[in-house]
Amino acid sequence: MARYLTRNRLRRIYKWGGFPVSHDRKLKTDEYDSLHISLEDLPRTTVITNGQYILIEGVDDDHPYVAKVTKLIESDKKKKALVQWFARVGEVPPNKLKLLGREPHPQEIFYYEGPTCEDEIDVESILNTVQVHQSTLSYWMATPTTPRTPRHATPSIPSRSLPARQPGSALEEARARLHVSSVPESLPCREQEFQDIYNFVESKVMDGTGGCMYISGVPGTGKTATVHEVIRSLQRASDADDVPAFNFIEINGMKMTDPHQAYVQILQKLTGQKATPDHAAALLEKRFSHAGPKKESTVLLVDELDLLWTRKQNVMYNLFDWPTRRHGRLVVLTIANTMDLPERIMINRVASRLGLTRMSFQPYSFKQLQQIIMSRLNKVKAFEEDALQLVSRKVAALSGDARRCLDICRRATEICEHTSLDPGAPGLVGMSHVMQALDEMFSSAYVTAIRCASVQEQLFLRSVLMEFRRLGLEEATFQQVLVQHQALCRVEGLQPPSVSEALAACQRLGACRLLLLEPSRLGVLQRVRLNVSQDDVLYALKAE
Amino acid sequence: HLQVQTLLRERLCHQQLPQRPEGVDSQHKHLMELLKRTAVHGESNSVLIIGPRGTGKTQLLRCVLAELLAEEDVDKTLLQVHLNGLLQTDDRIALKEITRQLSLENVVGDQVFGSFAENLAFLLEALKKGDRSSSRPVLFILDEFDLFAHHKNQTLLYNLLDVSQSAQTPVAVVGLTCRLDVLELLEKRVKSRFSHRQIHLLPSLSFSQYLQAVQAQLHLPDTTFPDTTFCYDWNASLKVDKSVEAVLLRHFNSTKDFRSLHRLLMAILCRVSVNNPTIKPADLLDASRLLSADAMTNVLHGLSILELCLVIAMKHLNDIYDGEPFNLQMVYNEFKRFLQRKSNSLYNFELPVVMKAFEHLQQLEVVRPVDAAAAVAARAQREYQLVRLMLDHSQIMEALQKYPQCPTDVKQWAASAFG
Repeated sequence: MARYLTRNRLRRIYKWGGFPVSHDRKLKTDEYDSLHISLEDLPRTTVITNGQYILIEGVDDDHPYVAKVTKLIESDKKKKALVQWFARVGEVPPNKLKLLGREPHPQEIFYYEGPTCEDEIDVESILNTVQVHQSTLSYWMATPTTPRTPRHATPSIPSRSLPARQPGSALEEARARLHVSSVPESLPCREQEFQDIYNFVESKVMDGTGGCMYISGVPGTGKTATVHEVIRSLQRASDADDVPAFNFIEINGMKMTDPHQAYVQILQKLTGQKATPDHAAALLEKRFSHAGPKKESTVLLVDELDLLWTRKQNVMYNLFDWPTRRHGRLVVLTIANTMDLPERIMINRVASRLGLTRMSFQPYSFKQLQQIIMSRLNKVKAFEEDALQLVSRKVAALSGDARRCLDICRRATEICEHTSLDPGAPGLVGMSHVMQALDEMFSSAYVTAIRCASVQEQLFLRSVLMEFRRLGLEEATFQQVLVQHQALCRVEGLQPPSVSEALAACQRLGACRLLLLEPSRLGVLQRVRLNVSQDDVLYALKAE
Repeated sequence: HLQVQTLLRERLCHQQLPQRPEGVDSQHKHLMELLKRTAVHGESNSVLIIGPRGTGKTQLLRCVLAELLAEEDVDKTLLQVHLNGLLQTDDRIALKEITRQLSLENVVGDQVFGSFAENLAFLLEALKKGDRSSSRPVLFILDEFDLFAHHKNQTLLYNLLDVSQSAQTPVAVVGLTCRLDVLELLEKRVKSRFSHRQIHLLPSLSFSQYLQAVQAQLHLPDTTFPDTTFCYDWNASLKVDKSVEAVLLRHFNSTKDFRSLHRLLMAILCRVSVNNPTIKPADLLDASRLLSADAMTNVLHGLSILELCLVIAMKHLNDIYDGEPFNLQMVYNEFKRFLQRKSNSLYNFELPVVMKAFEHLQQLEVVRPVDAAAAVAARAQREYQLVRLMLDHSQIMEALQKYPQCPTDVKQWAASAFG
């Protein structure tokens, strides 16, 4: 085993040995039979061929990974290697080591078969070859533990040492399925919209032309999810060669700090180049204006379009103008919330380039919401019929937002689990649980807050009401309310508070926005308004 | 007795966590279950803890976190990011802080590299690459959550809540705020991504529970305190008698939250010394009087007789002109009328002296100019600028009661209805 330098990092140079042995047209990769690694300024070269065992950069310099090379390829000008992973003794969890039934040799390695590791690695992470004796190999089927991708220089959140617990009971399973993030393969109740968008994009890609489409709808109606579904099926169709290959890029107006960053992001996702916004705009302009050999269509999804608005509207203008170029082959799908966005905020030339291909996603009706939940649960029996109906009707009446519906159902399962008398068998989620969840997630706590306020704070609120009634206005100064407050205290038999105390009580009510106050530097002259309706205040104060 | 001071100050000032805060069991359970599901099962969630100031939101969160992190595998898995709306006033600063706390790869030492756009893209990509079963979950705690809703486009909130609703790195977004109307601040897209879970912390103690809480706060632990006789005497002296109850009732009626209670108890604790090693009801009475004294009345006690006379003149102007603003010349005229009619014990002050007194009142903010900007600009005609009196008449009368050696004719002038 060759020693490698740990502290002084010399640059390693990677070169293919000879010409490619074969070329894969579909994947567009070249296969090579050997790789030469040489250290900068040193004469020695290490040769790696198929079937050899190698060391790969691991978490730190003292613990490299072990793998066996199965193929050496080059794709997209990057050198890659396909490998079969092995685990060293130190990487196997102790409970699995026990299954061996014997003490493992410290240098023993195990065949690792787990779905969470990539078989393809960058050759730049190969350190060196290593000799492996056949007798030290053992086979070990692993359940996924740590993902074993080598360290990239790109962003990542560290991975956990123990895997997350999988759902156990039916309720936990239901909860996992009802999470907003578990988007199903095919969205129910959006078949027509799916078909329309699919037809549009397919026709443009097949013809090799460009086009624009504007999709609108209130939040939570499945716009982005439907577009993703369309793209997925188009990609499947293009894998089967039914549809020409295309590039898919996605940008989101809210995930950018500035509208001009759109150019930077599109360029980066298309070509991997990094550039300033102006330069990126110029490069994209060139790319979409000129005919290129064997160019693929590009499908661009722009989410939260209204945030790309600038005063001169040039970002939006470009996004809608590039598809009109003959050689651009750019299909742009834009998503926003308001149906009349083009008419309201776009100048004429921008709106006309956006065109009239529009689609509006209606909020879900209660039947649709019910169907969505049922299809998510998919035979996991966790809810009672009436409970589901109640949630769907309530949410449909308010917003028709699928996210809201799913969150309320999830909360209902939690409540069911916690309030069940027998923790082992919580039973189905019933009306009472659902109603408690609705109560929690739809209510505002003003009335409870008033009831829980201290005596002086409640008296102050009552004084505010009295002063409003006396003046016939919705506004009064603190000084006027104070007069009422002190009178009221004498009536109730309480010691009237000092001005500072009353001011403090007023400030507390203002901080939680039961009252709306002017800045407190105005002292006794600040004006006071109510943020709650007068009836609610009376109701809260009365029910003692 | 030094240990008493250390122990109690630790409890009152340093926000030492109680074993279990009282009266918030269901909220504690709710929050605990939620965070456990994120840490152990990798389920993303978002929740808002809402409650008036001083009711224990931060304390609840810290208790739950302490209990959660007591389990070793949670301690090793859960990543935490603490943000505060008062410190991170901008999304740019907030993003740098998140990147620094998560020690992402664009952080070297304590410095974060990259522009705002790069930092955002980097963080989003890092979170996107993770997944439920294999990435460490991240807990985002946003103190003064309502202030984050005032940032431009609510970019940070949108992105954090979007991650919590996508199949990416599991995150839990916990917001703490005292505004009951916080949901109205969120934009519709951000509101749709928020799971609408709310935990309300409202002070719901009755007076008897409050009394018990006071005693518990001052109680010295019998088992761990070194000097047992002292401890015994101390705890015995914590009986609640009528006067104590009356004082505490007044305080309870004013505000129920624990922060102000701690302020009161601190004032009492400060009187405990080697010569005075126990708490007496008189201490409580004094402390209460100190805390509930009116601030402006105290200011008035420090004024000179001339300044006091000006204030009384202004009071009369308010009565005559029904609260309309006035200027120095009008006040001076009113003062001269009093001098002509009543006084023979006060000198006839010249206008420049009166102006000096008037300026002093302005510095103390006893009077404030109606239009602050113009007041700074037009330095010339200061005696004609309109001002308003920032005091209530009751404060003036109360101050006069206790003003040392106040001349009787001044007092009579203040009390008279005709000026």
